Amino acid sequence: MSAVFSVSDLNRYVGEVLAADPVLSAVRVRGEITGFKKYPSGHLYFSLKDKESQVNCVAFRGNAAHFSFVPENGMSVIITARASLYDRDGRFQLVVYDMEKDGIGDLFAAFEKLKARLEAEGLFDTAHKKPIPALPRRIGVVTSPKGAVIQDIIHVLSRRFPNFDLLIYPSAVQGQTAAGELKKGVEWFNRSGIVDVIILARGGGSMEDLWCFNDEALARAVYQSEIPVISAVGHEVDFTICDFVSDLRAPTPSAAAELVMPLKSELVSRLDARRGQLGRALLHSVTVRKNRLMALAGSRALMYPLRRAEAEGQRLDVLSIKLSHALARRIDTSSRRLEKNIASLDALSPLKVLSRGFSLATDPQTGSCITSVTQVTPGQQVRIQLADGSVHCKAEKVQAGRNL
Amino acid sequence: MNLSDEYVNLSYEEAMKELESIVSRLESGEGTLDESIALFQKGVELSKLCSQRLEEIEKRVRILMDDGNGSKKEADFSETGVSDASEG
Repeated sequence: MSAVFSVSDLNRYVGEVLAADPVLSAVRVRGEITGFKKYPSGHLYFSLKDKESQVNCVAFRGNAAHFSFVPENGMSVIITARASLYDRDGRFQLVVYDMEKDGIGDLFAAFEKLKARLEAEGLFDTAHKKPIPALPRRIGVVTSPKGAVIQDIIHVLSRRFPNFDLLIYPSAVQGQTAAGELKKGVEWFNRSGIVDVIILARGGGSMEDLWCFNDEALARAVYQSEIPVISAVGHEVDFTICDFVSDLRAPTPSAAAELVMPLKSELVSRLDARRGQLGRALLHSVTVRKNRLMALAGSRALMYPLRRAEAEGQRLDVLSIKLSHALARRIDTSSRRLEKNIASLDALSPLKVLSRGFSLATDPQTGSCITSVTQVTPGQQVRIQLADGSVHCKAEKVQAGRNL
Repeated sequence: MNLSDEYVNLSYEEAMKELESIVSRLESGEGTLDESIALFQKGVELSKLCSQRLEEIEKRVRILMDDGNGSKKEADFSETGVSDASEG
């Protein structure tokens, strides 16, 4: 004789048998949704049916929140669930963990196949990717002119670089004609050549919604584009073939706008910094040379031809004029230092050196400096320049060697 | 001062790259005074070009529409809506 169960014990027992079954604890079932109801609690109740049968299903709020779409009656889906028995009325039901649209598996397989083929062909090669211009003069965007995406892009661009220039090629971004229109947009921009960069943009959506961005002909048009292409499709988690073949993938359309246009304020301060460096570097370079020259002229004047000091002195005069023009507007703090420097250039004037008792011998015929005895023959005219005038002499004797 | 022919076609990016290379050459202190002056003048010219590149972009948002002859023409894109010609 077998034991007699209470109803509660029976239901509990059946529930345990179901829970212990390795197949029924995570079973995937294909069917069509019917009798769909969403309770205020967030739990979803529906049945899954095929031609002959149907089964009760429940998706608790925590799991239902992660579904990638909102279920509707009539939808073909594949659920992942565990079998259970609802104790109170002994009703068999499936507790649903996950739900995907039927056919997604096929789409995904097709995506992977195309991706592998194009990758093998080299369409995703990093070496082929074109750099995005640092400052695009004009930006082309292929997207829907309606909805939030284009507005988001415009908003971000205005914030980053107020005088941006955007040209929209309106295109469907889902449905049968979308891939063809997107491709035409890329090709049109390439033919016209009036933009520096192209953004392909679309907001978030289901895998089917984004499917047009997995079109092979579109991928090839992006690959062949002479103009760099940024793909900005869906959300961060969505990847399409366009993302792989484009020159840059932006996680969202707004992010594409961030990536494509630099912050104008940053460019302006960078430029200011370079201008400052330029002025300081020149001033430094002049100061270093001036100091070197002063050292020469002061302590070792005899060892060096005076003409050199004179020539350098003249160049410094010219330089100081140029400098004061060039720097006047830009480098306020430096200009005081510069004036000081220019004033001290006076100390280098040849007259100052002559007034200390040195003189300069020149050949009155050629006007050139005499720096060596080899330039003079006895009887030759020699002009001696002193601080306050000159003496015209005739060489009597030429003697080599120092005898100061 | 007009931009010299050498620079007139440079993009912002190229001009900035050239400017930064000039700054570092000038900062290295090598070369003669004349060379330093020439570098400085080039640098001033390039920095003006960079400013010009930043400012010369015209603020506009335009949209392409069919012109009825199988080509496209540009029209202003108003942020509130768009003409039905772009229905797609």
